Amino acid sequence: MVTYRTKIEIVGDILISAHEQTMEQDGASIMQLIRQANISHGRLSKILSDLVSQGLLEQVSSDRAYKYRISMVGKDFLSEYKKFNKFTSDFGLTI
Amino acid sequence: MELFLEGILNLIGFVVGLIIGTFSYIGYKNTGSPVLFRLTIAFFAIGIGFGIIWSAYIINELVFDTEKINRGIQALGLGIQTIGYFFIAFSHTIKSFFPKSRYFRSVGILPLFFLSAMNIEHIIRSFSFILLVYGSIETIVSYIEGRQKGALAVGVGLGLLAFGEFIAWYSLVFPESILYSISIVIKISGLLSLFIPVSKIPLRKIKFDDLDGE
Repeated sequence: MVTYRTKIEIVGDILISAHEQTMEQDGASIMQLIRQANISHGRLSKILSDLVSQGLLEQVSSDRAYKYRISMVGKDFLSEYKKFNKFTSDFGLTI
Repeated sequence: MELFLEGILNLIGFVVGLIIGTFSYIGYKNTGSPVLFRLTIAFFAIGIGFGIIWSAYIINELVFDTEKINRGIQALGLGIQTIGYFFIAFSHTIKSFFPKSRYFRSVGILPLFFLSAMNIEHIIRSFSFILLVYGSIETIVSYIEGRQKGALAVGVGLGLLAFGEFIAWYSLVFPESILYSISIVIKISGLLSLFIPVSKIPLRKIKFDDLDGE
């Protein structure tokens, strides 16, 4: 059965991916985010600009392309997201 | 005995409803999730519904010195609780609640005319029962899929509330029996079971983040 992710779940996946890459490589590239968050380039670009404007991600210049690092606000949001994702799944629901 | 248990049930329902409602609201403020918003409405409604009945009992005992509360207030409290149960069921999307065929829809309205002479309280209770059974089945199905113990606790909790409601109907047939007290004890167990997942979540880092203002 096909399961669709809600927008907040996609944002959660992007932040989790950016968080992992920030720890390992000082930020995630667009290609890494597309692969790990399983999302199209067009949709990712729009969500990334929203997340950067809200201060959840930081856009940093790399050699050839931009990289995205998770900010402190992003880390706080991610921790709340994980907590309440568990809470809603306890009610048999998706956040 | 029944009055004492009824008081405990309504107080626990009031407290559990408000705590889970507040927790859901904090989650909604911090993440913006519409599911958490629906849970907020659901549990605040359940808490307020129990609270209205509880305060009616307290006021009656302290001010009017009677044990029976006004049936209208009782129906109001139960009605608000039913709204809460509706939002829990609605969060699971009520797929097959209303039949699609026009014939069945028209036939489905008929019982409302037959039941119109009955006490409105029992009609509300029957709606609650249907919604609770639906919510319980959906939650247990998601437990079977995900094997999360919290989902099992919530599914069992909603199921116990529904079963308590069912036993309470039976007590109408045998009014002097112990059935009504048993139904209240079952409902209290259901409410405590609903509270289990919330009690396990650490409350240290909860705060309100106005992300739009950043």
